[in-house]
Amino acid sequence: MTDTVSLTIDDQAVEVPVGTTIWDAARSLGIDIPVLCHSTRMRPVGVCRMCVVDTGVRNLQASCVRPCEEGMAVYTDSEKVRRNRRMLLELLLADYPAPGNREATTGDDELLALARDYGVEHSRFQASASAAPAPVDDSSPVIVVDHAACILCDRCIRGCDELQHNDVMTRSGKGAATHIAFDLDVPMGESTCVACGECQAVCPTGALTNRSLHGLHVLAEDRE
Amino acid sequence: MTAIDVKARVVDSVCPYCGVGCALSWVVDTERNRILEARGRDGAANEGRLCVKGRYGFDYTTHAHRLTKPLIRREDAYPKGALSWDDNGPRRPGGPVDPETVLPHFREATWEEALERVGQGLRGIRDAHGGDALAGFGSAKGSNEEAYLFQKLVRAGFGTNNVDHCTRLCHASSVAALLEGIGSGGVTNIVRDIERADVALITGCNPTENHPVAATFMKDAAANGTELLVVNTRRPRIADYAAMYLEIRPGTDVAFYNAMMHVIINEGLTDDAFIAARTENFEAIRENVQEYSPESVAELVGVDAERITEAARRFGRANAAMLFWGMGISQHTHGTDNARCLIALAMITGNTGRPGTGLHPLRGQNNVQGASDAGLIPMMYPDYQKVSDSGARARFEALWGRSLSPEPGRTVTEITDGALDGTIRGMYILGENPFVSDPDVEKVRKALGTLEFLVVQDIFLTETAEFADVILPGSAFAEKTGTVTNTDRRVQVGRQALQPPGESRQDWQIICDIAERIGYPMRYPDVSAVFDEFAAATGSYAGLSHEVLGDRGRWYPCPDPEHSEGEPIVFEETFPRGRALLVPARQSPPVEATDAAYPLVLNTGRVLEHWHTGTMTRRSAALHGISPEGFVEIHPDDAAAYGVADGGWVEVTSRRGHIRIRARLRDRVARGSVFIPMHFREACANVLTHPAVDPVGKIPAFKYCAVRLEPVVAEDRA
Repeated sequence: MTDTVSLTIDDQAVEVPVGTTIWDAARSLGIDIPVLCHSTRMRPVGVCRMCVVDTGVRNLQASCVRPCEEGMAVYTDSEKVRRNRRMLLELLLADYPAPGNREATTGDDELLALARDYGVEHSRFQASASAAPAPVDDSSPVIVVDHAACILCDRCIRGCDELQHNDVMTRSGKGAATHIAFDLDVPMGESTCVACGECQAVCPTGALTNRSLHGLHVLAEDRE
Repeated sequence: MTAIDVKARVVDSVCPYCGVGCALSWVVDTERNRILEARGRDGAANEGRLCVKGRYGFDYTTHAHRLTKPLIRREDAYPKGALSWDDNGPRRPGGPVDPETVLPHFREATWEEALERVGQGLRGIRDAHGGDALAGFGSAKGSNEEAYLFQKLVRAGFGTNNVDHCTRLCHASSVAALLEGIGSGGVTNIVRDIERADVALITGCNPTENHPVAATFMKDAAANGTELLVVNTRRPRIADYAAMYLEIRPGTDVAFYNAMMHVIINEGLTDDAFIAARTENFEAIRENVQEYSPESVAELVGVDAERITEAARRFGRANAAMLFWGMGISQHTHGTDNARCLIALAMITGNTGRPGTGLHPLRGQNNVQGASDAGLIPMMYPDYQKVSDSGARARFEALWGRSLSPEPGRTVTEITDGALDGTIRGMYILGENPFVSDPDVEKVRKALGTLEFLVVQDIFLTETAEFADVILPGSAFAEKTGTVTNTDRRVQVGRQALQPPGESRQDWQIICDIAERIGYPMRYPDVSAVFDEFAAATGSYAGLSHEVLGDRGRWYPCPDPEHSEGEPIVFEETFPRGRALLVPARQSPPVEATDAAYPLVLNTGRVLEHWHTGTMTRRSAALHGISPEGFVEIHPDDAAAYGVADGGWVEVTSRRGHIRIRARLRDRVARGSVFIPMHFREACANVLTHPAVDPVGKIPAFKYCAVRLEPVVAEDRA
């Protein structure tokens, strides 16, 4: 028998194995907690904070990494939580080059979709005037890297290092200069990248996009 | 920038490249009949992952070189010969066959005229000289349905078993050893079962380049505690994740594995209960390996006795150990012996039939498993039923309505020999390019030029098509629906995403059109009906259909496809032949030893970005952009001794020919060895390779021949 814990999420009772994250437990109830950094294909890292929920303690908890506890009463969509997410979205959008390459081509930019969901039309913040504009790395034959559209969610890094085990991508720099990097921070096309495209496939924003789609606007996708 | 609006359709299919069989979706611009993007799908073999070929190598489908009309050779283009072969070299930019060079020798024809010509050509030879004067090469890039129809046409329509395909060039020896040893050529355990292995022996393969997505699961396993024992002659990248990397000298596999078994047997690491219950002939193995102590083979193999012993102990002590192998095992004149050793190694340690164990020869082509299952093999009907077995023959005679030849047919290399000696007069080649893929191309060139009649069906003008009397424009993988069977025995449906361009047709229909013209009509309402006939003729595919396979496919055997995914592990209780037959093997010398004139061992293979003869990948902008030209990989110490610089031009010569190619200095190749990828026609590795074959599997020794290398001075190249 696996040990379980019982809790409520948005007033619905649920019993899950010990160690289950709040995000997974909510999902089992059909409650969709928004994420940018998390993906079911990956180890959760809790960096984007979009998935925060109210567990009744002093600060909000990132549900993708927070394990459920016995007797917890979790609220995933309270006004406090929604206000927090709106603030996060405004901060992320402050220096975002909207619409960006993903929204302009396939229209599935996850950051912009969340901003629409939360009614965030503009940001009250501005990028630091002293920061140099983040560059576009056009060196790969298949993928365009727009560092300005990167929200440092770490999905590409986990895709490269943990799904594909190519161990090419990492973070580099400190503070506002932090950026995703290839090998020892060389252009993507000069790195040991094997062009599997996993980083582009998991990227939620316009930071890593397929070059072949640039210049196209994909209108609708009928599924067969 | 004004963006172009495109209406898209998403089609779920399967990657057309390697045997891993990644499920993917194509985003299709229907108006312009092109694929815009490939996305990984949550398939059993890939969990959404793809590699560079599947992700970016789809644009060959819309390349301007596509054949769009049937072609007939002009009267003034006889006698036949290569049309573009000499039209290249180091001074030329290279790349695939240029239609501008070749097309003037052909004229466009209607389907009616071209098919009539094919019918006449094949019928004439059959009626005058008998069916055995004809032969067919099918393709492991085609679907199961195409493979089934093709061999049915050759067997029942031509009246011969002379039908083979490129499995002969990749795993024929592995399959021969597996059929002999356990009675089945398929893998026993799926790739992802490595998650449950304590130890995995990964030998004679380079999965990060040739089975990239399978390699990601091997690396997952390594990260979670599975010990990888990597054995190779040229360091593959998977060695970076290995507990032990053992670099053996080329061609010493039998000695190495016999030494491992020597340790396992003499140190009591065998699974005696398994040996007693599930195997026969163990005593012969025990006796045979006695003279192969690690100490006695260390010098030959090039690995210290202590390390051989350690590898043997790790393998022998594992509760669950799994074996993966590739062409480095199979493509030798002793390829069958190599595979026999691996089978024996698994059996004496009780490593089959359980999670995390088993034998997994990594299949190369997307459908090499299925094409073999469907009977594209000269000695087997579908599902490995022997043509020499009168019961099987009677069943297929009843099914196909023709009397069938009891004589096993000729293999790929034997068909080449037959063309040269005049016993093979006509051929139908579908989707294969033996002029570049087969050993000793000068010999193949003579053979193809000698044929009275050759019809080639392909999507591009291949080097082989230059020898054709008639060329028929077929369809690319994305332009048709059909099933393919991956290395895991997973049968998956590839769905049509694009329309065949111009007048080109779906290949299964062309096969039926030809059948009609030679007086053996084969008519089906659609391609799923072909699958149904094939599945019903087999035990392995019985119960499967396009409908039940759905979006995810099934592992065969799958007796209850409504409720089960099929069998990821087979032979838990018994083998198809009952007990496993252990076959001892003895170390044998290479067919062409190095000497003072030819001091280097040539190894051939593939690179991540390209596929075989490059007809598809060299016409993909992304893949060609990343990997535009051939190279010879040489150890920096050897390069220094020969005066060769990194990137400098060299001439590589064997007893069969010579090529010019750029040198790439890498210490991943051992001293005394060089490596040349097979994809690049202008620096064609198979000009150099030796045509000798394994006596059992009839597979050529692509992994071993003797060459020499000289730098090319600048004036020579002007």
